[in-house]
Amino acid sequence: MRFFKHNGLSIVFLALFLAAIVGQAIAGHADFNEDQDRHGDPRISLARYLVSSEFGVAVMENWQSEYLQFTLFVVLTVWLLQRGSPESKELDKAGPESDQQQKIGSHAQQNSPRWATVGGIRTRLYENSLLLVMGTIWIGTWFAQSVTGVAEYNTERLDHQQDPLSWGSYITTPDFWERTLQNWQSEFLAVGSMAILAVYLRQRGSPESKPVGAPHTSTGVEG
Amino acid sequence: MGPQVAAAACLLALAVAGCGTGERADDAAAVTERFHAALETDDGAAACGELTEETASKLEQQGKKPCEEAILELELPKGGRVAGTRVEITNAVTTLAEGNSDFLDEGPNGWKISAAGCVPTLPDQPYECELEG
Repeated sequence: MRFFKHNGLSIVFLALFLAAIVGQAIAGHADFNEDQDRHGDPRISLARYLVSSEFGVAVMENWQSEYLQFTLFVVLTVWLLQRGSPESKELDKAGPESDQQQKIGSHAQQNSPRWATVGGIRTRLYENSLLLVMGTIWIGTWFAQSVTGVAEYNTERLDHQQDPLSWGSYITTPDFWERTLQNWQSEFLAVGSMAILAVYLRQRGSPESKPVGAPHTSTGVEG
Repeated sequence: MGPQVAAAACLLALAVAGCGTGERADDAAAVTERFHAALETDDGAAACGELTEETASKLEQQGKKPCEEAILELELPKGGRVAGTRVEITNAVTTLAEGNSDFLDEGPNGWKISAAGCVPTLPDQPYECELEG
């Protein structure tokens, strides 16, 4: 119980993720087979659907946009501010801040992570590690979207007696960019609206909001 | 957990895209060669056995006769060796050495021909096929 209390946020989101992806797999499989029926093509098993490019591209195009969203949010909030928003730093703190503010090297505390204290390349890496990992996952999943996407796209082209495309040609097609941008636009809208709505609106008890009574002008305050 | 997820995603993508395509390409090529070999020996029944149900039934409707008779009246290559095969998940295209292409679908009974005797038209446009479902 104590473990859940201390890790509830990640446990619940992991469970929600698993439930949603299982639901997506079941619904996607049914939809795929309906489409096969319409084309007079054979139905496929759920196991086959799970390793198909249709499922792969549907999952990857959403993953990449979510990781891009957080990658951008992590890096842009270093420099960009939003007056009154709890998502922003205080207005005089734009930039990477001093070693003292960041508790690096000789300013590290006793319980600071080791790589924050040692200096050199390890500290440079560690101070950017969140961005590096999130960015790597974004690039990896975007690449996976392109690989699964070209396979799905080519299956459809062959179904219409057209030559398949190479990966290089596929990433210049409207199909690839429509899949990519339709996901990006929703992420950018969600982050942008959250940053501005949180200036004026509150959720009592949430660290994503300012305290209910905090003035609209106070920036970088979490409740 | 982050890098492992990304690595798994890439591996999954590569596996989905490339897993076992070599063997399946050989299977698709074998179906094409059997189909054209049957036409060479005027074995319409054997040739029709390599077609998808949809393509065979469309041929019967258009020719107003059984598939094994109608197929022998089409101008399809008789005999031939497959010079190139491309597999994409459950679809494939095979090209004979003399240039004609066939399109195949993979179903529970393996590869079946959905279109045959196809030649390219304009770039990026569908092939023109002597037989299609």
